[in-house]
Amino acid sequence: MKHFKLKTGLAAAFVASTALVGQPASAQDSDTLVIARTLAVNSLDPSRAFCDTCQFYLTAVYETLVTLAPDNQSLVPNLAESWEVNDDFTEFTFKLKDATFADGSPVEASDVAWTFNRLKNVQASPSFLMEGLVSAEAVDAKTIKFTVEAPNSEFLNKVSAPYTGIINAEAAMAAGATDTAEDNAESWFLSNSAGSGPFTLESFSPDAELRLAKNDAYWGEAPGFNEVVVTEIKDAVSQAQALETGQVDIAMQIDPDTANSIRSPEIVTEVIPSYNFTYVGFIPAVDEVLTKEVRQALALAIDYEGMIDFTVGGNGVKQAAPIPNGFPGTADLTPRSQDVEKAKQMLADAGVSDLKMVAGYPNDNAYGVDFNIMMQKVQQDFSNVGVELELKPLTWAVWRDELGSGEWPVTAIYYAPDYYGSGQYVAYFSMIEGYPWAGRAGRDKPELVVNPKEAELYAKALAASGEEADAVYAELGQEMMDDAIIIPLVSPNLVLAYRDDIEGVRYSACCNLPLSEITRK
Amino acid sequence: MLAYILRRLISIPFLLLGVASVSFLLSQMTKGDPLAALVPERMMSNPEIVAAVKAEWGLDQPLPIRYVRYLGNLLQGDMGTSFSTRRPVALDIAERLPATLELVIAAMIIGTFMGLALGLLSARFRGTIVDSVARIFALLGSSLPVFWSGLILLYVLSVQLRIVPGTGRLPPRVQPPPDVTGFYTIDALLAGNFPLFLQVLSHLALPAFVLGWAVTGIITRLVRSSLVEGLSLDYARTARAKGAPERIVLIRHALPNAMIPLLTILGFTFAYLITGAVLTEAIFSWPGIGSYAVRAAASLDYPAIGGVTIVGAVAFLLANLVTDIAYAWANPRIKVH
Repeated sequence: MKHFKLKTGLAAAFVASTALVGQPASAQDSDTLVIARTLAVNSLDPSRAFCDTCQFYLTAVYETLVTLAPDNQSLVPNLAESWEVNDDFTEFTFKLKDATFADGSPVEASDVAWTFNRLKNVQASPSFLMEGLVSAEAVDAKTIKFTVEAPNSEFLNKVSAPYTGIINAEAAMAAGATDTAEDNAESWFLSNSAGSGPFTLESFSPDAELRLAKNDAYWGEAPGFNEVVVTEIKDAVSQAQALETGQVDIAMQIDPDTANSIRSPEIVTEVIPSYNFTYVGFIPAVDEVLTKEVRQALALAIDYEGMIDFTVGGNGVKQAAPIPNGFPGTADLTPRSQDVEKAKQMLADAGVSDLKMVAGYPNDNAYGVDFNIMMQKVQQDFSNVGVELELKPLTWAVWRDELGSGEWPVTAIYYAPDYYGSGQYVAYFSMIEGYPWAGRAGRDKPELVVNPKEAELYAKALAASGEEADAVYAELGQEMMDDAIIIPLVSPNLVLAYRDDIEGVRYSACCNLPLSEITRK
Repeated sequence: MLAYILRRLISIPFLLLGVASVSFLLSQMTKGDPLAALVPERMMSNPEIVAAVKAEWGLDQPLPIRYVRYLGNLLQGDMGTSFSTRRPVALDIAERLPATLELVIAAMIIGTFMGLALGLLSARFRGTIVDSVARIFALLGSSLPVFWSGLILLYVLSVQLRIVPGTGRLPPRVQPPPDVTGFYTIDALLAGNFPLFLQVLSHLALPAFVLGWAVTGIITRLVRSSLVEGLSLDYARTARAKGAPERIVLIRHALPNAMIPLLTILGFTFAYLITGAVLTEAIFSWPGIGSYAVRAAASLDYPAIGGVTIVGAVAFLLANLVTDIAYAWANPRIKVH
């Protein structure tokens, strides 16, 4: 019988090792908020960061002059108590509140000027927000005036983007930061923070954990938690498991299918519309057969309702133009519907038959949409009108390389807003000469895609505000639909999943998840 | 023996230089845009930003200059700065390697003990139900994909039965022990924090078991076949003829001979798992070197790719050296020169 002792011992050892655990630590009564997500942080430097995690980190640690209200449309004061705009939207003057940074020093106009100059001059990812900024000038300690080179009614919206969070200039400069292109303080921001927000950076371990500590010297209302831990859990199923066991309080990347599989009554799941969308993009410069008529025909070949069922199990909505539903100018736009017969007729009228194309796209899953599944649906829909689409899923790095070299005429990708405002979409997706997608689609033959009317309309929109601007953005949206370069496929719903003792969880178009509003019941 | 070890150790830096050169040149030749990790898609059409980033990271320089700079920095112990994490690669590796080593060592201990025990049982009770059960367990370990067994065990033991904790090295609400070695088990003990040590062990148990199970499969089959062969040889027959019980024949005579091929497998498996435990790391949110390697490769993060390659090469070179030394120790007939 002795030989059985070893086996028994091994079994006992495993049971003992697991029994050491007991029940996992309960989330109840903890003053630490734990959030599960894929971190994918590119930087924690406000002037260089550009990612979904960055959005809510910067919002919690740095504060912007204005921010977006919970209605996701109105701008409300943040560090600025009031602001004035001149008649032609070229000068913006903000009066600052009596706020302080985490080290107790006051937030002054010189900090704001330094922050905006740095954002513009370091030429990093979010620097595009400052395109057209002529000067940021401290009028006095509490007054800051911005001048832009051309009318820009969306400037106010831009300064609600978390990347414009105000940095404590003195603290940052002491660490070697500058507001010029020579700045190399990015590494300092990975382990330190210099903001005025309700939290400070406690520690950061890439791909593992981001810890925030309550800013004890916060000038505003104290946040609901002493500590926030964002822990890296990659896939939706694992995030749901961690939520059910109480290991985490909020799971940020649960897709609707996974949400449906959650059985615990202690978990709240809300499915809400998002401002994210996936799209197909045509590149006529690679294959000139893709004329406007052909692109419009192909857009009509797509079964949009089926696409939503196929990719996100019905948890999404159609989107008309490459501007998210709910953004200025989208209210009266009508999303496309499939019309196979019309598409066939248009292709025949254009003299196109036996069309074969290649679609290169990232082999990715964004906002719950698997790009392979999405493109298989596009392939199937195109085949219904006699167009053969060869699919070429690529790693992100290879897709980027091939996109630049123009190896295929069809691609697919996704987009999420940086702030509330339709101008950012026009500045990216419109067929205005020199703009990103016009350059990508037209390459060295801009005449294939450029739409001069859009440049006029965009200038008009930036010189207007309110309903007048909305009307111009609606026209722009229709023009961009008619261009048929960018074909939005699905705007997937977002799942807010959290334990039932947590409240104040909401989705913000600028800031993703405002941490300071979250409390435990 | 000492001279042999010294010779092998001295050769390692030269081999690493070769590995680093090949790794650098291959990654540079790989198709893909290295700016993918540095410039978001939104900004890639902005020539000013692209030029500024290229200049900042030295990607605007010709390949020979970059190569010479890379080797020069490497000789000074500088592996460069990761495109993805924006931190020194050496720091990234120093943070992640202990996590992987802790996991792999635990998995190797579990896998080796279970493999040896099952191999012994299987050989001793060859053809019986014990043999069948042990072989099926071993077969499952080596054939079930880790991503499947890991997820299922995590779901059953953590979500349903709540007898093991969730993913990660520690619960997110718990602060890690003060960093001395990077091994949470050791650091918790050094800090005199026994409850924390138990928490670390509890988090380590399941991923180490899942990874160790795969190792168990290999070892069980190897030990069983070596023992079965050994038990039919002359020395085993002689021992039996002298009246030694079967248990003694198995453990004192057959097992030592079975250890020699086992050492090779153990050394190779250990080195492989240093960078090959990526699926276990992904499922258990284990911040190790494997997941770092995958991200580096996917985003063409040249400095990180170079760093991980060097770590992998060091692991294999040292594992080979230790295996050779262990060979000589286990079998006096083998001499090292």
